[in-house]
Amino acid sequence: MKREAAWYKDAIIYQIHVRTFFDGNGDGIGDFQGLAQKLDYVQQLGVDAIWLMPFFPSPLRDDGYDISDYRSVHPRYGKLEDLKTFLSSAHERGIRVIIELVANHTSDQHPWFQESRSSQNNPKRDWYVWSDTDTRYRGTRIIFLDTEMSNWAWDPISKSYYWHRFFSHQPDLNFDNPAVRDEMWNVMKFWLDLGVDGFRLDAVPYLIEREGTNCENLPETHAVIREWRKKLDEQFPGTMLLAEANQWPADLRPYFGEGDEFHMAFHFPLMPRMFMGLRLEDRKPITEILQQTPEIPASCQWCLFLRNHDELTLEMVTDMERDYMYDIYASDKTMRLNLGIRRRLAPLLDNDRRRIELMNGMLMSLPGTPIIYYGDEIGMGDNIYLGDRNGVRTPMQWSGGGNGGFSTADPESLYSPPILNPVYGYQAVNVLSQQRSEHSLLSWMKNIIRSRQSSPVFGSGSIEFLHPANHRVLAYVRQLGRETVLVVNNLSSAAQAVELDLRRYKGNILIEMFGKNIFPRIGDLPYMLTMGPYQFYWFRLRRI
Amino acid sequence: MADETLLSDDFLRQLMNVGEVDILVGLSTYNNANTIQPVIRAIQSGILKYFARERAVIINADGGSQDATPELAIAASIDDIWNASKVYALRTLHSISTRYAPTPDSGTALRTILSAADLLRAKVCVVISPDATSIEPDWLQRLVRPITVDKFDMVSPLYRRQKFEGVLMRNVLYPMTRAVYGYGIREPYASEFAISGRLATDFLSSEIWNDDWGKSGAEICLTVAAITGNYRVCQTFLGTKGQPERNANDLVAVIRRTVGSLFASMDRHFAVWSVISGSQPIATIGAESEVTPEVVRVNRKRLRDMFSSGVAELKPVFESILSETTLAELRIIATLETAHFKFPAELWAKTVFEFASSYHKAVINRDHIIQALVPLYRGRALSFMLENRDASGDEIERSVEILCGEFERQKPYLLETWADRK
Repeated sequence: MKREAAWYKDAIIYQIHVRTFFDGNGDGIGDFQGLAQKLDYVQQLGVDAIWLMPFFPSPLRDDGYDISDYRSVHPRYGKLEDLKTFLSSAHERGIRVIIELVANHTSDQHPWFQESRSSQNNPKRDWYVWSDTDTRYRGTRIIFLDTEMSNWAWDPISKSYYWHRFFSHQPDLNFDNPAVRDEMWNVMKFWLDLGVDGFRLDAVPYLIEREGTNCENLPETHAVIREWRKKLDEQFPGTMLLAEANQWPADLRPYFGEGDEFHMAFHFPLMPRMFMGLRLEDRKPITEILQQTPEIPASCQWCLFLRNHDELTLEMVTDMERDYMYDIYASDKTMRLNLGIRRRLAPLLDNDRRRIELMNGMLMSLPGTPIIYYGDEIGMGDNIYLGDRNGVRTPMQWSGGGNGGFSTADPESLYSPPILNPVYGYQAVNVLSQQRSEHSLLSWMKNIIRSRQSSPVFGSGSIEFLHPANHRVLAYVRQLGRETVLVVNNLSSAAQAVELDLRRYKGNILIEMFGKNIFPRIGDLPYMLTMGPYQFYWFRLRRI
Repeated sequence: MADETLLSDDFLRQLMNVGEVDILVGLSTYNNANTIQPVIRAIQSGILKYFARERAVIINADGGSQDATPELAIAASIDDIWNASKVYALRTLHSISTRYAPTPDSGTALRTILSAADLLRAKVCVVISPDATSIEPDWLQRLVRPITVDKFDMVSPLYRRQKFEGVLMRNVLYPMTRAVYGYGIREPYASEFAISGRLATDFLSSEIWNDDWGKSGAEICLTVAAITGNYRVCQTFLGTKGQPERNANDLVAVIRRTVGSLFASMDRHFAVWSVISGSQPIATIGAESEVTPEVVRVNRKRLRDMFSSGVAELKPVFESILSETTLAELRIIATLETAHFKFPAELWAKTVFEFASSYHKAVINRDHIIQALVPLYRGRALSFMLENRDASGDEIERSVEILCGEFERQKPYLLETWADRK
């Protein structure tokens, strides 16, 4: 595939878990063979790239984020050859593939850890962070509060403590050790040689530990990233690094460096505030966080998302905001996990089509590269009674037939029960039925993806917020060169009138981007719009 | 329904931008720049602390201030452009202002606030005086929660007052309202109160707005409307109430606005109050009304002189208003030296009732009747202060209770004079 620089800035990414998407061999588990079969669907959706969740050999105690072999494919998902076939098929369709690089930690079953724990003198002893006490790095927070009491775990074999920022079965690698850094680069190189287009680096802020700090975002961590990025640019130009760093925007900014660290980073604090703004019917949470978002180098990009495979994280909100989000979106405590809410998009929005569209409209028009989580394009539901985050990782619903068209295996042998309830079950919500309707959510999603892709302004343009006196309306202008797009979102459940100060665009006419209808020319007076509940407009400004 | 003609286009535009709210806090102002800032800050803090999730708006109805009062009110807005106090807020808090008239008029101000509450479908409408400098953020929850949680329709305040503050309230408005309408509401003419959206809407459509007396004493009419309309009324303890400075001439205007409106309300609600005997307490949240021992300095001799000269100079007027026996008794006490001065509760209740009846019959110009009450009230106020010079807070409360009992005891006399008097 042609290695265009900065392709990621204008891309739309589709997040897939191999296990959940399509079962090609009928064993009840999604696999690369099945994924390859569904590439036409992904292509028709109109996305530019696929982000694959971990597919490596693993004990699967954290859904693959506990890797035991970085250079292979988990047998459940197929063979390396299957992945290569999938990769080339995706590239043939113009779809790039981003894979996970869970660099911070391995599974405790990884041979590296087995060697490391086997003896204090083992050459790999220093590949992990060991200690005789559990009192080092005391200023470090515990991330998985629901399950972990400490960041240290006692290893009875080597009779010492090892450091882990996540589950205790996920020991952190020691990136102070040059051998570890080199080996991780070799892992990256292995996949890049196979043709992957980029990596989403998991748990980036935690690579390095230092006493007296909170062990997050340390300068030494940035040095590791820069080292990898330099090699990437030199040897694999046109590939991309995406940071998973659940931090405040100001703390995230250094991960872009001077354009010499990550190409992209998730904007974690924005996502809960979009949900908050919608429910409060007030743009304040959204505009405030975006106003606090620092400028990033021109070659860099934010990654925006509404939902993903994890809980809707509430780490980057205030206590008051978190309480509000819990009360509004997770009144049933079963829906809560760690500091977040384990629900999919449609159930979070009460399956309200207007709100789902509005949220997707904002996702597609705010500055950044949008990521769509598999199934959200058809409004899939969740199962909060499955443990951990498995409730949002249920089988993709392809049809109203057996197992929702996901697998031909016996239902009992599926890796997870499909959603069966009358509202979100596969008989009510599935790809096949939505492909038959021009007015389905799936068709609408295809349409908005096309609209976004019709203008580079969304991926690379500047943003200027308008501040209409009506706080229920979020309005902004995206601009790139001579291309200007006005976006107006009504966050309210009621119809709203809004006056926009568009005097600087006087003389332009507005062309609504979905229906291509012409709206009145902008004059000296405030531009008056009336908007239905949760309605949004994208207007292309043209001077004719 | 809100009277749209009351609201300017600009104010309507502002309301449109605010949209539906849960809590509306209204401030009626006129040249309050010296006091409004701490008041509005406390309101803002109260909203953010206790009602962070609720949709709230502060509405300033201004009577033509020349001292930038409206600008200070508007500066309390918290939004994504302007956050003057740099406080954290979950959502936008609008603070808007409108000039309802070129001259101040508390009735029109209240009507403007209630119209806004009606248009914005506020669940609770709180009114705060711009000179309530003793306000604490806590007042907001004390006023709002009884409506949102306990489903009351009106929350009337109780204060911790200095010994001789609120003399008019203790000697006329409270005992009279209690005896006439049968409810022991301590502050029937409140400068801080809260009402439900339902009561706000209903009161807006009442007849009082067509009546000068109603408009000028809209607050007391609101209390009477709540009582007579079987709305759920409660009282809540707010704490210290500072007393704004007033000159002596203010008293006529205050009595016109309060007692005059109370008398006028009796005309409208005769069918309700005429069948009530005795009184019932109303639900009270927090402490009862408190009295602190600090004494406000009063020129007693001047009060006595004003009383005596009033009795003498207004003799022809009193002959139209009062019975012969009452007038004779007043003339006797008008001769008493300050040290021995006493205006007994029994005579005071009888006097007020005769004024009310005369007002009803309009024996002379009604405004003259109200003005004639002023010197007599001064006499009663002097007597109250002398009687309670060394009294404790509890003793003062007992004395007020005795006065209320006297008003209730003489209510049959009120009914008799109401019907019989020419």
